[in-house]
Amino acid sequence: MKQIIGRRGFLQQSGAALLATPLLARSQTKAPPSERIRVAHIGTGGMGNGHISWFSDFADVETVALCDVDSVRLAQSAKRLVERKPAAKPELYGDFRRVLERKDIDVVTCATPDHWHALIAMMAFESGKDVYGEKPLSYTLREGQRMEQVMLRNKAVFQLGTQIHAGNNYHRVAEIIRSGALGKIGTVRLWKTGGTKGLGFPGNETPPATLDWNMWLGPAPFVEYTPVRCHGSFRSFFDYSGGVFADFWCHIADVMFMALHPTGLTSIDARGEIPSDGIADTPHWIDVDFRFKDLDVHWTTKPPQVPGADGMSIGAHFEGEKGTLTCDYESCTIRINNEVLTDLTDLPVTMPRSPGHQRNFLDAVKSRGVPESNLPYARQMTAPMHLALASFRLKRKLTWDSATETVVGDPAANYLLSRTNRAPFG
Amino acid sequence: MKVISLFNGRDLTGWHMLPGKAPAFVVADGVIETRTAGGSDLFTVERFGNYVLRFEYLLSKVGNSGVLIRCDPADPWTTGVEVQLLAPWTPHRDDLHCTGSLYGYVAVTNRPDETTGIWHSMEIRCDRTAIEVSVDGQLTTVADTVKVAALNKKLVSGAIGFQANHGEPGEFAKFRKVELGNLDADPAYVLQGLSHADARFRVQAREAAVALRAIMVGPLARSMDGGEVMAQSVARQALFDIVAAASAPQTAPGMRAAVAQALQATLKTKPSEITAGYLTWLQGMIR
Repeated sequence: MKQIIGRRGFLQQSGAALLATPLLARSQTKAPPSERIRVAHIGTGGMGNGHISWFSDFADVETVALCDVDSVRLAQSAKRLVERKPAAKPELYGDFRRVLERKDIDVVTCATPDHWHALIAMMAFESGKDVYGEKPLSYTLREGQRMEQVMLRNKAVFQLGTQIHAGNNYHRVAEIIRSGALGKIGTVRLWKTGGTKGLGFPGNETPPATLDWNMWLGPAPFVEYTPVRCHGSFRSFFDYSGGVFADFWCHIADVMFMALHPTGLTSIDARGEIPSDGIADTPHWIDVDFRFKDLDVHWTTKPPQVPGADGMSIGAHFEGEKGTLTCDYESCTIRINNEVLTDLTDLPVTMPRSPGHQRNFLDAVKSRGVPESNLPYARQMTAPMHLALASFRLKRKLTWDSATETVVGDPAANYLLSRTNRAPFG
Repeated sequence: MKVISLFNGRDLTGWHMLPGKAPAFVVADGVIETRTAGGSDLFTVERFGNYVLRFEYLLSKVGNSGVLIRCDPADPWTTGVEVQLLAPWTPHRDDLHCTGSLYGYVAVTNRPDETTGIWHSMEIRCDRTAIEVSVDGQLTTVADTVKVAALNKKLVSGAIGFQANHGEPGEFAKFRKVELGNLDADPAYVLQGLSHADARFRVQAREAAVALRAIMVGPLARSMDGGEVMAQSVARQALFDIVAAASAPQTAPGMRAAVAQALQATLKTKPSEITAGYLTWLQGMIR
């Protein structure tokens, strides 16, 4: 532990103190990674398996380590990887700290539950690694701020893995909006149907011997094990996430930030309900009104009452002075005057297209550049989500000071924007 | 059980009639009276879930009125239930539609004295799924909303209303001594609702607990440490909502201090480690 004393400022904030062995500092003179990028995957559930497949398919990626607190999932993922890429010889870990200790790993991807995202990323940055992290960026707003500081200090590369960001559709929507063809955009409506289910009232169980439940909980408050709290439905609990809203905010708010990058958020007013038929405590439905500088943004759990939105399970609807644009991940409908179009064919392609979300990240790792869904961008995109959830939980409108990034006149709301991590994880 | 008066004997403070309809109620000689034909029914501003409502009523010779319970004033007969108040003749009405019946849903089993022109007392008890009506001290009607499908779809809390004169012009109904014992203000009663089989009554109990604020902190913490998963879960959320409400910028400092003190006092009673950790976290919200 001696070598990390000098990092106390960071350690006290980030929880990196749980590292039982010395951290490996990124050398100031570290050469760019070799042509082959050595990747480790932390969290090997459904999303983690996506990461494993995507990254292992690149010729310049070597998958050297897999890590999960569930040894059954870990073994399954290793088997899938070797079937897909017989040359792969991943080492398997139950404790991600052992992965971060390794000096021969360039990149870590993180597909753990939300409450681990920021801690793992910050510890990876400190140990000299670049990170492809799943959304949402962080469990709390304050963690996101610290992530950005730690990344910058370590000159690390970070991509928020939203996948859809890289597609042509979002780029085209951004081009159309930015072109001014629809005039000034005054209102954006975002939605995602469906909400948290109650999950019933199951009793506590002894965790399976194959699951390190204490490590799964990590910085979250200790509770006895209940299967529904863990794999697959952890987002139903505020201790780990923020429900369907937190699951999908980043996906659909992304296109709004790509197109308009709204700033100057001043107020957040959420309402909704939690389920009444179970132990889950995140929104069964949530509607939120955001006021940005020159832009009103409305989130709803049902599609808004605008042409074409009905029947779309997720979407963004831009209201401009001259027309509207309604889109989801793959489609786009433009309404100008009485015309309904899927594209404005006269409008030139101006934004460079992504070579793919993972490729874009790997290229940035090699070039030490800034990837498309980088941490400052992701942090600004994610902040309204955290504030909406605080407003939902407190059942009141919040006033936000964008300059100082604090809620005005509401200490409880600011309190909910951070969490003291459970020892020894913080 | 603390009993509150819903009628001050002078005016209709605490009551309202629907805008756009003629007001059908007046206060005269210290009693509430409805005499005009048609017009708006009269509703409490406050909404109530579980309670004992007592009042006295007097019907004119062929008077026809009623008491609406757990209703939304915008659509009272769909959302709530009418306890009938009716003169017994012209025409004669059966036990499913006479005074004391849950009109059209549950008949009286012990038909009350329906003499008009004299004051009678009525008591309506709404106790979650059990609704009971008594007239002049005699139990007339017992309803189990679980067993009556139509009743099971009704609201579980809402306004209390008096129906505007439903008889011929010139007939009337009068009301006085309108009092309510609010079961949802009784901590022990509220705690029982935390683990009710029907989710609507769990939500009702949670909201009632939140309305009671500091006094519920200790009992809810003990529910968290009890053996019932439902009660644990609902109590945990109720505690959050109490502290969240106490933390609101406009909340009176005394209310906030009372909740903070209740958290501190409860922590001294040595709750389980998990509950203590939760209460300590909640303390941070109103520090």
